[in-house]
Order: sequence, then structure tokens, then C-alpha cells
Amino acid sequence: MRSMAGRATIVALVLAVAATGLVACGSDDDETTSATTTTETTAPANGSSQSGKQPTGDGKPAIETIVVRNGEPVGGIAELEYDAGEQVRFRVASDEADEVHVHGYDIGEEIPVGGTATLSFPADIEGIFEVELHGSEKQIAELRVNP
Amino acid sequence: MNLLPYAHALVARQDLPIPAWLFAWGASIVLIVSFFALSVGWRKPRFEDENWRPLGAGVSRALLGWPAQVLCGAIGVFLLGVAIYSGLRGTEAPDRNFTLTFIFVTVWLGFPLFSVVFGNVFRPFNPWRAIGRAVGGGFAAIAGQPAARLEYPERLGRWPAAIGLLAFVWLEIVYGVSGGVAVGLSPHSAAIAAIVYSTYTLAMMGLFGVEKWCERGEIFSVYFGMFAQLGSFGARGGRLGVRKPLAAAGRWAAVPGSVAVVLASIATTSFDGGQEGVFQSSMFDTFEWLIDAGFEATASRRITSTLFMLLCLAGVALIYWAGVRGMATVRGAPPLRKLWTGFAHTLIPIAFAYLVAHYFSLFVYQEQAQFTYLLSDPLGTTTTDLFGTASAGVDYRLLSANAIWYVQVGALVVGHVIALTLAHDRAVAYWGDYRQAARSQYWMLAVMVAFTCFGLYLLSVANS
Repeated sequence: MRSMAGRATIVALVLAVAATGLVACGSDDDETTSATTTTETTAPANGSSQSGKQPTGDGKPAIETIVVRNGEPVGGIAELEYDAGEQVRFRVASDEADEVHVHGYDIGEEIPVGGTATLSFPADIEGIFEVELHGSEKQIAELRVNP
Repeated sequence: MNLLPYAHALVARQDLPIPAWLFAWGASIVLIVSFFALSVGWRKPRFEDENWRPLGAGVSRALLGWPAQVLCGAIGVFLLGVAIYSGLRGTEAPDRNFTLTFIFVTVWLGFPLFSVVFGNVFRPFNPWRAIGRAVGGGFAAIAGQPAARLEYPERLGRWPAAIGLLAFVWLEIVYGVSGGVAVGLSPHSAAIAAIVYSTYTLAMMGLFGVEKWCERGEIFSVYFGMFAQLGSFGARGGRLGVRKPLAAAGRWAAVPGSVAVVLASIATTSFDGGQEGVFQSSMFDTFEWLIDAGFEATASRRITSTLFMLLCLAGVALIYWAGVRGMATVRGAPPLRKLWTGFAHTLIPIAFAYLVAHYFSLFVYQEQAQFTYLLSDPLGTTTTDLFGTASAGVDYRLLSANAIWYVQVGALVVGHVIALTLAHDRAVAYWGDYRQAARSQYWMLAVMVAFTCFGLYLLSVANS
């Protein structure tokens, strides 16, 4: 029976190592994904993507503007990230007339030809939502609301 | 990383990935529970005997008698008709059309849940069974004898259903990816698929008999029936009864092909969870490689997804196979083949946990749509308002991110515990000697930990 106990210890060790590996792997991945998120959000040339997080000196929050040309978001799909309870604010400028639509929140705003639409609403639903142009059904941003 | 329009056909909201701390907690609990399981093994099997007791004759007559059967069957046929009609005639907007939500959410995700709780409730509502029985009964009345049928080749077992299950999910999440728009299968294609499947099913029922085909080849019956094995309600010889929960699962997997059904269920759910997270970048690389190799975009997407779905299946099968091979090395082990089928039922709770973890929020949200605007305006053309709920919407505030996370992790942990319990019980029955049984279970323990931690891992990188 001693050998059985020994074997149990070995199995226990193997499992523990595997688990630590998994946990480490999981958190690793979390780090890498958040890292890519940051690089992606800083990448667009048209400026700051972390609008929700940006503190501003003179009480006027810097509003992120998503520029849409020929129905495509310039610089790829923008990432908007907020904590629940914050105010979501962003602007969409388009060369064509369309309507911005935030899924889940079901909020829409018309954009005139060559004009902009400004959206501002409380981040009160947690989750990941698509922001798209209603006409072309093109996704222009991903809204992420963390608890 | 949003260049691939992989998205579920219906969702307007996606789950946030579970945070790292919850992942760590979940994984730790799983391990602690597993070690505990090693030390408390019981010596006599407890789930080999179902201990089935009949319910009152009145209950059986009311629920299984012909008026109830005819009524349920008629409801099933009617709803199948509505799904096909609204698919053909309704809007092509996936979220506004009755068809997609009804087939892929209400039925496909709802019945596993109902089956675990109430037993095999799909059986009376199965539209093809209802049609098949009505036609069979009519034929017998006219011809004065039942229709001649072929003997079902028992070697095939549940293989037709296993392959059908893969085909169904393939249609739902692989074929559906189209255009550059985040829209899955269109309602129209879903309706066509339903017509094709109905024709095929009725033909097979004609060949092999209605009940036989429901037990072996009809995808929905077999798939939902698998989950019904976990619950405590079951019918025997035309009578309803109560049995020990989980105990019926052990016999279910003895039919050839059953292992494939369980493995396919876990693999397809893994694939759907993984394509939005874990597999996203590798899938994107494969997709680009195919584009470079000269394939067009849609074909490349489908090939990529097909490939990854099959890889998931291979991976899941390999993990289980390794566990079975491991068990076979323990002294006194039954033959490999017996182990392979004999432990398959222990994976059903894990398959169910995967379903809950991946589709719980989708189900809660989409059922609001199902019972409001999709019911009042099934075509989605704003021409009808049958129940006055056509303008209602889905309340996405209903579940907080935290509530969803706890349900997801909780489901995986509970599924893990039940799976361990069933595996230990089966091992005690097979080995007889309790110590050898416990040794064999180190292997199954590793399999279960692998599946559960992989499930947690999928959740932790979902949609990122």
C-alpha cells in the first residue's frame, strides 16, 4: 500500500504543476490580451481611443472621434472601454449620411452628409457591444463596459 | 482583431471574459475538489441501479396517453411549420425573424435544460415523430397491417445522430458566416435546411420505423435524450417513473456511437467558445494563409472554421482516449473497448456544463425576444402584432456581468464534480476492488481537470 500512497503523491504533484501552469497561463494570456488592446487603441492615427479614461484639466472631456470614410472606420474598429456607471461619449464623423447604432443599448443617432453625430449615454449595461453604421451594417467600434 | 466577421447570428451583446482572479479561483476549487474526491471514494457502486419506481397510473395516463400525445405532437408540427414559413417569408434580419431564435436558441439550448429537469420532454413534441406516427397509423388502418420496414443495422448505433449533430452545428456557426457582415445563417437558409432535414428524417422513419430512428438517428431526439439521462424522470414500458438522478446515464452510452455524440457536443461548444477568443488569432492566420493561397473570402472562412471545429473534436477525443488508455494499464482493467464506451456517460455533465457556461446569457436574453416581439411578429415585417408585444425589446440590464460569471464558473465546477462522481462509481463497478478502482481514477481525474480547466480558459479569453 505504500507504493499506492507514493503514486498518489506523484499524481497530486503532477496535477498541482499542471494547475499552476494553467493558472499562470490564464493570467499570462490576460496580460497579453490587455497589452494588445492597449496597442490597438493607441494605434489609430486619429487620436485617443481611451476616451472614457482620459481625465481632462479644464472639465471638458476629450471626446474620441471615429472617422468614417467610404463606410469604413479610419484606423480600424475603434475600442471604447468604460466602467459601469460612467458616461459613454464619442463622436462619429462620416463623409456619407448614415446612422450610428449602438447594439444592446439600442441607441441611434443620424449623421448628415459630411457631418458628425455625438453620442452620450450612461454605461449602465455590462458586456461587449457592437457599434455599427445602420445603413452599411459596418462595425465601426466595440464598446466594452466592465462592472 | 475584428477583421473576421465571426459573430453569433443573434447576439447584440457579448459576454465579458471572466477575470483572471475568478479563473484562478475556479481552477483552484476544481483541483481541491478533485483531491478530495481521491480520498473519499466509496466501495460499492451507487449509480449502477436506477431504482426506478413508477408514478401513479393517472399521471402516466394523463401525460403519455393519446390525447396528450396528439396535442403535443400537433403543437410540435405547428411550430415547425411556423419556423419554416417565417424563414421563407419573413425578414432576412436574423434577430427580427422567428426562425433563427426558435431553432437555435429556444429549441437547441432550451431542450437540454428541460430534459435534465423534466426528462425526455422533446419526445412528445418531436414534429417528425408525430407526423411519422400519424402516417404510420393511417397506413395501418387502410392497409390493415403495419408498413414493412428494414431492420436497423445495430452496428450503426447512434453514429447517424453523431454525424448529424456535427452537421447541425456546422450549419449554424460555420456555413452561416457570410459577406463581410456579422450575420450567420440567414432565416431563409435555415428554413430550407429544416425542409431538407424533415424530408430526410421522415424517409429514414419510413425505412427503419419511427421510434427506432428517434432512438438512433434523429439528431434532436438523441441529443436531447442524452441530457435527459441525467435527470430523475423517465418512462419505462409506457409508464412514467422516478429514478435515482444520474443513474440512467450509465446504460445510455452502451449503444455504439454514443461516445461520438458526447464528444461532438463538447467539441462543438468548445469551438464556438474558442473561435471568439482562444482560437481567434490562429484562425485569422489560417484564414489569411488560405486567402494567399487563392481561395475567396467566404470559402476561406468556412474552411478555417471547419478545420478548427474538427481540430476541437480531435483534441477532445484525444484527451478522453488518453484517459481510457491510462485506465487500461491498471491491473484488472476490462478491455479497452469496454472502457471507451463505459466511461462516456461521465462526460455528459461536462457537456451540459459547457452549454450552460457558453450560452446561458444568450439564452436568457434571446428568450425575452422569443416571447415578446418574435411571438407577436414572427415574420419580422411589422405587419402583425398577435399578442401586443411586437414593440417590446430585450432588457440587457437583466443580468450583471458578475452574475453571468458566477453562473459560468459554477456550472463548470458542478459539472466537474458530477462527472468525477459518475466516473468513480463506474470504476468501482468495473474493477470490483476498490483500491484498483481508485488508481484507475487518477486517469479520469486528469481528463476531467483538463476539460474543466479548458472550459474556464475558454471563458477567460472569450471575446477579447
